Amino acid sequence: MDTDALIAHSRARFDHAVARRLLKEKYQARMLFAYRGGMWRAGPELQTTLLTCPDATAVILDLYENPVQVDTKELYAQSQQRWQEQMNAWLVEHEANNQRR
Amino acid sequence: MTRGALVFAFNNEQTDYVAMARWSAGRIRRHLDIPVAIVTNTDPGDPRVSGFDQVITSNAASGGTRWFEDYQSTVTWHNAGRVDAYNLSPWDHTLVLDADYVVCSDALNRLWDIDTDFLCHRKAWDIKTGQALDGLNTFGQTKMPMWWATVMCFKKTNVSQYIFDAMTMVRENWQHYRNLYQIDRATYRNDFALSIALGIVSGHTNLVDEIPWDLASVLPGTKLEQLDHDYFAIEHTSDNIRRTLGMSGTDFHAMGKSHLEKIIAAC
Repeated sequence: MDTDALIAHSRARFDHAVARRLLKEKYQARMLFAYRGGMWRAGPELQTTLLTCPDATAVILDLYENPVQVDTKELYAQSQQRWQEQMNAWLVEHEANNQRR
Repeated sequence: MTRGALVFAFNNEQTDYVAMARWSAGRIRRHLDIPVAIVTNTDPGDPRVSGFDQVITSNAASGGTRWFEDYQSTVTWHNAGRVDAYNLSPWDHTLVLDADYVVCSDALNRLWDIDTDFLCHRKAWDIKTGQALDGLNTFGQTKMPMWWATVMCFKKTNVSQYIFDAMTMVRENWQHYRNLYQIDRATYRNDFALSIALGIVSGHTNLVDEIPWDLASVLPGTKLEQLDHDYFAIEHTSDNIRRTLGMSGTDFHAMGKSHLEKIIAAC
């Protein structure tokens, strides 16, 4: 890219509203993970469901509404780890976007 | 179980889809670490197809002509061969990608772990506005739900075969299905054929497993530039203000072929 194009880019206004949506889409996709043949979305909803299960194992529905027998503590730990990793990365990008004019 | 990507590339008067597929194949390998096969009418000995793991020769099947806004011209659309993906794919588990789908992340690798036979996108959204492409997420005058054939992930199972067989039936009886679904455009379109096929195979319940995120799209009227390997910028004007947006690590469908061609030519 030549200098003129770079200058033109720097003068254009950064679209913050759309950038937020873009980040949301990007990180929603990154919350997905496979476990015991099911597909799960890491986040509070899954983790709250797992916390309501008193036993070590439970059968719950995955994203595709297939029943899967899970180890509740194991799945909770995986979900929590992925959720926090991705939320942290999301925050870093969000703050970098906020610095743009 | 073998897995890989399949990219269809048939050049027309305006667009060098083979070059686009070659550029795309490099990105697919880098991010997804899977082999890439090209389906094309280009001679397998041609150096332009030397970068693929497999070259599958097929005749260019035209679905008609289509007006491309970014070229400001009508071009032949060699899109009708996509229904052969099931028979042509050398893999047990296949990711069919449009040549103009830009892979910038490993997001598609999650699809291999989903316990289902066939997956595609149900909804697309416009990166420029952040809004759903409402006009393009349905088809026909009755606004039937549309599934996108831009990204299809399938296993070689009976269900997948039924879907591709139904797509073939729609293609071969296009005029009938046009009338039935009240589709204005005469040109055959894979997205419509796929949507009709999924309707048939699901028993018209439209209960279809879909890719669990929406298809990010850059429309033909939006300027697209590549600033780094995986960092792209779009630029557009609204309310007399020139606006830019940078995106990194997000896969997207570059619907404006001319912008993508310029990016590829500059590489």
